Amino acid sequence: MNAPAEDNGRGHSRQTPKWRRDFPIEWEGDHYVSRREMVKFLTLGSLLLAIANWATALASRLLHRGSNVERDIGPAAALQAGQPLLFRYPTDEDPCIAVRTPEGRLVAYSQVCTHLSCAVVYDRAQNGFFCPCHHGLFNMAGAPVAGPPTRALPRIRLEERGGRIFAVGKEA
Amino acid sequence: MSLRRQGTTLFAAVLALVATAVVLQLWLLTLSMEALLAGEYRTLVPAALGSTALLAVNAALLRYVFRFDRDVGGE
Repeated sequence: MNAPAEDNGRGHSRQTPKWRRDFPIEWEGDHYVSRREMVKFLTLGSLLLAIANWATALASRLLHRGSNVERDIGPAAALQAGQPLLFRYPTDEDPCIAVRTPEGRLVAYSQVCTHLSCAVVYDRAQNGFFCPCHHGLFNMAGAPVAGPPTRALPRIRLEERGGRIFAVGKEA
Repeated sequence: MSLRRQGTTLFAAVLALVATAVVLQLWLLTLSMEALLAGEYRTLVPAALGSTALLAVNAALLRYVFRFDRDVGGE
């Protein structure tokens, strides 16, 4: 196969060098195309990130759904002041703890510690919820007051009706 | 200066803007994931809206790049 010839401007034609045949693209053209393609690629990435963000928002809706079902957790008489009651809410996979405070107020929280998911227990001496794994402590409002946890325990809304206690909602 | 050479410089600037927007979107996504795991659902939809706004900016810049490229092709 013959190599392509080009005019050198003086009436003589000469062969195109081999390196030019191997690398026919100028740097300027190369930069132009590579930057254009990179903009396309990053915009595609931007689309995927926006989709992932909406998927996260949608996932939260799915997780939140079913948090407002009503569930009978036991007779009110079973919950004396300073006594904890363990129950599951909103599903059988979600352990919770209810306590009637010495003042007679009924409070309930998820039993899952917000640090590393150990089960918290009611500690009457410290008047709060204690996590035995890493010595985390939550007060009766569910807020962390000692140890490694930094987030509050999710609160369970309770209602007393007809001598029974019902869990009616879970707050984040 | 040829239109193509102008385009090379222009695309570098566009690329910097798009890359900044993508980094912001990544930051929003990590923020959303943390909020999701913490059970703080209120911040998720605003974060997704912010990410969509950044996508719109990127799409507008890409459209500009396409239009410029068409002009270069017709040069």
